[in-house]
Amino acid sequence: MSATAAPAWRELDIDKLFLGFCLFVPLTALTIFFAYPLLTVVTRSLTEADGGIGIGNYIRILNAPSFWRATVNSLVMSLSTTAAVLMCGLVVAYAVHRCKVPGRALLLGAVSLPLLAPSLVQGLGLIFLLGRNGIVTKTTGLDINIYGFWGLLIANGLYALPQAVLIIGAALRAADARIYEAAEILGTSGFRKFVDITLPNIKFGLLSAGFIVFTVTITDFGNAATIGGDYAILATEIYNQVVGQMNFNLGAVVGILLLLPTILSFYLERVASQRQFGSVSDSAVPLVPTFTPKRDVPMTLAAWLVALLPVVTVAIVIYGSFVWLWPYRFDLTLKHYAVKVAGGYDPLWTTVQISIVAGVIGSLMLFALGFSLQRLPRHIVKPIYFLCLLPAAVPGLVLGLAYIFAFNVPGLPVYALYGTATLLAICNVTHYWTQGFLTTMTGLRQVPPTLEESAACLGASLPRLVRDVIVPSMAPTLVSVFFFMFMRSMVTLSAVIFLITASVSVASVSIMRLDEAGFTSQAAAYATCTMGIVVVASVLMRACLWALKRKQ
Amino acid sequence: MKLHLQNITKEFGPVVALDDVSFSAEAPEFICLLGPSGCGKTTLLRLIAGLSMPDRGQLRLDGEDLTRIPARDRGFGIVFQAYSLFPNMTVAQNIGYGLKIRGRPTAEIKERVGQLLDLIRLPHLADRYPYQLSGGQQQRVALARAVAVDPKLLLLDEPLSALDAKVRTELRAEIRELQQRLGILTIMVTHDQEEALLLADRVVCMQHGKIAQVGTPGELYATPVNRFVADFMGVSNLMEQSTIRQWASHLLNGHTPPADYIACIRPEDITLRPGATGARVRQVHFLGNLSRIELDWPGGKLVAEEAGRTSLVPGAEVGIDIAPHRCAWVAPQ
Ligand SMILES: Nc1ncnc2c1ncn2[C@@H]1O[C@H](COP(=O)(O)OP(=O)(O)OP(=O)(O)O)[C@@H](O)[C@H]1O
Ligand SMILES: [Mg+2]
Repeated sequence: MSATAAPAWRELDIDKLFLGFCLFVPLTALTIFFAYPLLTVVTRSLTEADGGIGIGNYIRILNAPSFWRATVNSLVMSLSTTAAVLMCGLVVAYAVHRCKVPGRALLLGAVSLPLLAPSLVQGLGLIFLLGRNGIVTKTTGLDINIYGFWGLLIANGLYALPQAVLIIGAALRAADARIYEAAEILGTSGFRKFVDITLPNIKFGLLSAGFIVFTVTITDFGNAATIGGDYAILATEIYNQVVGQMNFNLGAVVGILLLLPTILSFYLERVASQRQFGSVSDSAVPLVPTFTPKRDVPMTLAAWLVALLPVVTVAIVIYGSFVWLWPYRFDLTLKHYAVKVAGGYDPLWTTVQISIVAGVIGSLMLFALGFSLQRLPRHIVKPIYFLCLLPAAVPGLVLGLAYIFAFNVPGLPVYALYGTATLLAICNVTHYWTQGFLTTMTGLRQVPPTLEESAACLGASLPRLVRDVIVPSMAPTLVSVFFFMFMRSMVTLSAVIFLITASVSVASVSIMRLDEAGFTSQAAAYATCTMGIVVVASVLMRACLWALKRKQ
Repeated sequence: MKLHLQNITKEFGPVVALDDVSFSAEAPEFICLLGPSGCGKTTLLRLIAGLSMPDRGQLRLDGEDLTRIPARDRGFGIVFQAYSLFPNMTVAQNIGYGLKIRGRPTAEIKERVGQLLDLIRLPHLADRYPYQLSGGQQQRVALARAVAVDPKLLLLDEPLSALDAKVRTELRAEIRELQQRLGILTIMVTHDQEEALLLADRVVCMQHGKIAQVGTPGELYATPVNRFVADFMGVSNLMEQSTIRQWASHLLNGHTPPADYIACIRPEDITLRPGATGARVRQVHFLGNLSRIELDWPGGKLVAEEAGRTSLVPGAEVGIDIAPHRCAWVAPQ
């Protein structure tokens, strides 16, 4: 028996080594590039001016009226945005999934436009429309001040709308037609059905969407930077403490305080989304809406009205980038594409490189981790799972700040990474880790276990199993995660803003700098180029997914 | 090739999926694991395959201890209920995968795959992908893939239950034919007693993670050890001993079963005599090749069967005859 047992043990070792490797590498990376930096934020927030440890920084911040103003502003702005986005999101999602409206795909595409653009684009668009030199302001002669609360509300709302539509839409799709038929037989009116059946059924979906919108809004920095004006919020407060006053420790304190609502909101979102999507019955009969003029005509109008806003803001930015002198001379020109910013288009190409690296690292790491988690006992998986959910709750600015604390330390081996494009790529992977992780896990769960077991019985070792069976059958997920990381990395601003140097910068920072310097049209040109690349990536992704689907 | 399971126990938290299971099987036997849902059949099959490890007990093949050897080193063939073909590989690649892993030369793989495709009568589908096949064809390919590597043991987990009745009957015969041609020890899980009766050399009937009875299909049908096996292996009349003593005492002549044992009489063993008295026809069900007749009898309800159509109508008086040797005495549990 020893004759056969010996190779058995060697085989087993390869598998264990492979599994260990798959777990160890991403987990170590997550520790070094997420847990450790975050911990430094905590310690720095407790480090006082004289180098001692204490809560002096907290007391200083909590006693500062400016902090309270920013907190109140942040909360008011985020809550109003959440309410507005939920309402608009419900209108669009309901129109798409429960009414017979023309051009559903177009409607969804229009609403999703802001996902393809740096978050500054909404702000830029609003400036072109309603700013001091906005086309509306000039033609109507009204005295509109878009910089501030209203501008932020609209810009953040546009930015968060696609995610709300996605989540509410998923909740609406899970409907069972039979319930509605039963209500119909009982003589229930359309409106009563909506109030008595639809709303209760999607309430956790609405909650989930609400918390996501709240988190996205309260942590956003790009819009606040372009259109926030004097309306101070927590994100700008951190930025001012750090970049304006070089007061890193106070920035850390604000960052920690900003973490509280986001972590709470994120936790509640997880709870709500589990309640909404935890148990979808397989036997549900899908609902097919029939044309009801009384409902569908107003819904079509309302939904398109909502969808028009993102289309107009994005379109006007593109248009504005080609116009000679907004809003006085509308001759078309390419002169704004000769940008007058440090490095010209170099940051754009750097961003593309960073995004590719982030896509590759992200999809590989997430796949390795997900793959090993599936083969580990529950009590080990749970804490790791939790750790993987955390990054979504950390605002980009806080993560960026954490990276300064953790890596801008001459003498540490990780200092070598500081100021490199690699660190920016890693930072992006960490920043968007959670969404990628959840997608990967869903993809892995869709590989039938019998497939792996068949391969195992045929004698396949784990590395072979991954190569021959798992990767081919979840290639669409890997492609999606890669492009998700790529596209987010192309447009993100908040985390990387602290990590750029004179030689290594990214596109969204260039856009911000151009806008700050008053070169709005050049900022628009730069944003248009960035969007162009993201659109190309999104088309490529669709082509890849289509090709993969045809093969299966 | 002799497989030996000794005192196998497997628990999932509080659930005891397998409780002290022991049995042996030897090539070229065809064994069916039969039992109701949740009785532990799949768990047992996965343990044999090496896809999970028992908490206690031992598994031996020809005297060699297999208990801790993982699936990939056991080299057993396995076929699942569905969805186990590699979607990214063609039929031929699927069948040849095990050989490829073993590093066999391409020419040899090609030849072997060709033989197997002929054997499952699908040579024209070699370059198709699984999604282009019907359910029955997919299972044939899965079977070919499992036997391609000359496994010492073939394991089948309800390979037919996702198929419709006609394909199931066809494939059933093909599995049996293939197994006999290759002379390979085969263990198949099923919850369909008809399938077990038809295919198995021996049936392992399971109940709540324990083996209730092991035997040939004939043994299990004619002499079940307990009420559970009797019930599971087709229709039966189960009657308390006191009832028999009162109304059919001749069945006890020459038998002294333990006091709590009950009588098990198969419906076809009850002979009906029209014109005589003793029982009354309650209902007649025509099932095509046979008629099932429900009777009111002083000792309770009885079910009898007659071949083909019957002339009996509800309400008719009939006499009943039961041969004593046709009455099995079974444990109440
Ligand atoms: N991985 C598992 N974790 C927890 N419990 C399990 C697991 N696998 C099986 N069980 C439990 O063990 C018992 C036996 O399950 P098993 O799958 O072997 O039943 P089965 O006889 O194959 O049933 P079926 O005919 O429905 O396939 C069941 O109670 C089941 O719930
Ligand atoms: Mg089973």
